[in-house]
Formats: sequence, structure tokens, C-alpha cells
Amino acid sequence: MLLQHVVNAISLGGIYALLALGLAIVFSIVGLINFAHGELMTIAGYTTLGALLFGVPFPAAVLLAIATTAVAAMAMERIAFRPMRGASVTSLLLTSFAVSALLKVIFQNGLSARPQPLAMPQWMTGSYQVGNVAIGVGPTISIVISVVALVGLELFLRRTVTGTAMRAAAEDFPVVRLMGIAAGRVIATAFALSGVLAGIAALLWVAQRASVDPLMGAVPVVKAFIATVVGGLGSLPGAVVGGLLLGAIEIGLDAVLPPSVVPYRDAFVLSGVILILLFRPQGVIPAATVRRG
Amino acid sequence: MFAVGHAGCVGNSGSALIMLHAEGIKVRYGEIEAIHGVDLNVGEREVVALIGANGAGKSTTLNALCGLLPTVAGKISFLGTDVTGWAPDKISRNGMALTPEGRRVFGQLTVAENLMLGGAAHAGRAERVRRQEELLELFPVLRSRMTQKAGNMSGGEQQMLAIGRSLMSRPKLLLLDEPSLGLAPQMVDKVFDLIVALRKAGLSILLVEQNVGLALEIADRASVLRGGSIALSGSAEELASSDLVRQAYLGVH
Ligand SMILES: Nc1ncnc2c1ncn2[C@@H]1O[C@H](COP(=O)(O)OP(=O)(O)O)[C@@H](O)[C@H]1O
Ligand SMILES: [Mg+2]
Repeated sequence: MLLQHVVNAISLGGIYALLALGLAIVFSIVGLINFAHGELMTIAGYTTLGALLFGVPFPAAVLLAIATTAVAAMAMERIAFRPMRGASVTSLLLTSFAVSALLKVIFQNGLSARPQPLAMPQWMTGSYQVGNVAIGVGPTISIVISVVALVGLELFLRRTVTGTAMRAAAEDFPVVRLMGIAAGRVIATAFALSGVLAGIAALLWVAQRASVDPLMGAVPVVKAFIATVVGGLGSLPGAVVGGLLLGAIEIGLDAVLPPSVVPYRDAFVLSGVILILLFRPQGVIPAATVRRG
Repeated sequence: MFAVGHAGCVGNSGSALIMLHAEGIKVRYGEIEAIHGVDLNVGEREVVALIGANGAGKSTTLNALCGLLPTVAGKISFLGTDVTGWAPDKISRNGMALTPEGRRVFGQLTVAENLMLGGAAHAGRAERVRRQEELLELFPVLRSRMTQKAGNMSGGEQQMLAIGRSLMSRPKLLLLDEPSLGLAPQMVDKVFDLIVALRKAGLSILLVEQNVGLALEIADRASVLRGGSIALSGSAEELASSDLVRQAYLGVH
């Protein structure tokens, strides 16, 4: 029983962590909380659905969805956010709300207002035995993929020139430009990475629900936002810790709350978040950002 | 010795060719104009000092020259090209480097990563390794610190790193904004020794310093900035013996 809960908590927390990381990477570099991040998930979901309907094999459909989401994230930056460069945090936030609302309307009218079934391959839906406990294959794969994505991101940020420039830009972007490094490239890479992470998270999210709908990104993006704030806004390790913490709190409450109270679970979750922030207003692992005039 | 890139100027050798020419530049912070039409020239292999009290507009001038701040009037030309309004990264790739006031090393990154980023837009991996080796001859203090976080070093070491990071781009002109600020006296000497060494290697330098005495000792020419305007310009010797500089900045009455 406990092992099952732990696997579920890590698998859900891993999805939140990937989403929160996407938000945190962009925030750390351009000071924007991209609420349209959820719509990137929706794009990933429908791309997978469409590709499968056209008979594209499952692995290719998955890669296509992730690539499409990365391109969509970069396009979002080019079209909506780049013209706003240098604007206040509030203006940027409002722009991202507008982009999110606009995309939702487009998806609802252009695609379908109703959820569409998107079945995962048979082998992902089974379970396996550990001792006498049944563990889902889906959540296990989800954990493995989350870990691989985290390690991949870490390697990118530590080992590549662009990754190093992104860490530097999170500290002091003007000085990165003084080094001769073009701002546009660092920002585009940040958005592309956030798109890749949103695409992976979307596929893991869809795998647990077996359907896609135009508003599928709305709830996870709020969860991811909570995770980034709990972890420490703009801090990448914080986003991971915040995501895992949120997953653990949700699954834990599902397990211990009496059935009549479970519908109010999110109220308990948010109370817990407020409690954490009361003691650590900068989040669990505050960002080490130096902002200068 | 550290090799220095050559200016892309043509003309008679021997004469100090103008590398940087700024004319009438004005910069505004919101409604307030901070510099009111500053003129500056830096020639090839020349060290020019820009001196002035706190708030006179020295940093504003340097930041405008390297593209960090937009100018509202005036013209900046560098190596014969009009670079007015260029983005800072493009100006850097053209051969001008600024070591900003307050060092601004990337504190969360290692010393090696800081140096790497300094050359990232200017040289491939092999060339960066070569430049780094040359730099470490010039900055032996950094050699044992390469894998340390830059933020954990002393102010003097951070200043060495900040200058080294700028040099990784092999600039033709180096702008130094108060490199001795907040350093212990023996560190100040080390920084000035370094500037002298760079000058000997043929690098052109525009130096902003509070330490006017030392700055005038190593500079060829100097300008005094007062209240956002150039109050006085001339050779370093002329300025060192002028009443204005002696009274206001050298404390001689
Ligand atoms: N970011 C800024 N916003 C508004 N005013 C500024 C800013 N930076 C500098 N100033 C003002 O511009 C003037 C020149 O400043 P600065 O160039 O930093 O002087 P210096 O480097 O000579 O000490 C000062 O009056 C200062 O208060
Ligand atoms: Mg200054």
C-alpha cells in the first residue's frame, strides 16, 4: 500500500516538477511567468492525437509532439513576448494570460470542446508485482522519464556553452550580453527548453487520463505555478523540490483524508502551501538571482 | 605575454590612430539627463583616463559606449564604423569589452565557466583553452581557483577574474570601470600593475578611476567629467598639474 502511494506521489510530483522547471527556466531569464505554459501541454496532447490518427507510429508521434511544442514555445516568445521585452513584470504576466485565453478559445472552436480519447499502448496500462503489491507500469515509466528529463536538463545546463550562458543570464543578463552573447538566442533556448519539458509533462499527464481536451493544461499550469512559488521563484532546484512536494502532499491527502472531505483536498493543499511560505517566504530553495539597475 | 588583437585601422604607422570616437553623446534616465553631450577619443595603444567625482556620469558614459544604455543624441564610432545604437553583444563581437563597475562576475558559476563565457562568442573551444592558458600566466591567483564558485572569492580575485573574462574576447579596446574600487591597498597595486602590463602589450584602454593620482600616472591622456559634462581634457601630465585636478581630485591646495 505505502509503496503504491510513494510511486504515485513521485510520478505525479515528477510531472509537476517538469512543468515547474519550464516555468522557472523562463522566469529566471526573462522575468516572465508564462501562464500559457498550460496551452503548450494542450498543443502536445493534440499533436500526439493527430499524429496517431494519421497512422504515425507511437514513438514517432511522441517525438513529433515534443518537437512541435518546443517550436510552439519559441513562436510564442517571438510573436507575443519579444515585442514586450523590457516591459514590467505585470505587463508580461498580463500578456501571458492573454495568450493563454486566446489559445484556449482557438482550441475550443477549432478543435473540439469535448475530450477526445487518446489511448496509450496496451503495455503501458498494466501493472507488475513487487512482493505482493501491484505497481502500475504507467507511473513507473513516468518516474523514469521524469528522471531522464531532469538529468538531461542538468547536463545541458552544466556541460554546454548555451546552458552555461543561461545560468549566467539568470544571474545577470546584461553582463552576458557584454560578453558578446546574443540575448535572443539565450531567450529562444529558454523557451524551447520549457516547451520540451511541457511536451514531456503533457504526454505523461495524458497517459494517466487517456484523453485530451482543450482545457487540459489549465489545472496543471496552476499546480506548476504553486510548485515554483513553494520551491522559490526562478530557482531550478526549487522547482523540482516544489513539484515533488506538491505531488507528495496531494497523494498523501488523498490517502489519509476521509472520503467525504476528499473533494476539498485542494483547500488543504493550498493551506499547506501558505504555511510553507509563512516560514520560508522566498521558497524552499530561494533563487540566487542578482538583479541590478 | 598576453597577445592583443590589432586594430582594424589603416593609415600611417606610428601615429596614434583613433579607435573610438564619441561625439556629443547624451544619456537619459527617464526624464533626467545624466550626461550632456560627452566627447571622447581613444587612440590605438593609448590609455585614456576618465576621472570625476561620484555621480559625475562616468559609468553612464562607459555603459553608453558599449551599448548597454541607449544614447538620445550623439554619435559613437569604433574602428571606423558607426556603432551608435548597436546592441551590446554586437559591439562586443566588434572588439570592445567593458569590465563593469562592481565586477559583476557570475557568482554561481565557477571561475572556469566565467572565463569560458567571456570567450564564448569570440573563439572556438580550442582557441578558448589557448587564451585561458595565456591568461592564467597573467593571473596566477586564478589558476588554483578554476573549479571554485566565483562568488566565493575575495573582491580582488573577483576583479582579476572580471578583467580576465573581458580579455578572453581579445578586445581591441578595453573599458575598465573603477577596477580598484573597494580593494585592499596591495590589491589596488596588483590591479594597476596589470593595467600597465596590458598597456605594454599594446591594448587600448579607457580607464575610469576614483584613484586619480594612480590613474594619471599610467594614462597618456585624461578627461575630467563634472556634472555630466567634460570639464577638462588633455595629456595626463597637463591634467596632473592643473589647478582644477590638483584641488578637486588630488587633494592639493
Ligand atoms: N539607473 C539609474 N537610474 C537613474 N539615475 C541614475 C541611474 N544610474 C545613474 N544615475 C544617475 O546618473 C548620474 C551619473 O551616474 P554614474 O554614471 O553612475 O556616475 P559615476 O559613475 O561617475 O559615479 C548620477 O546622478 C546618478 O544618480
Ligand atoms: Mg560609476
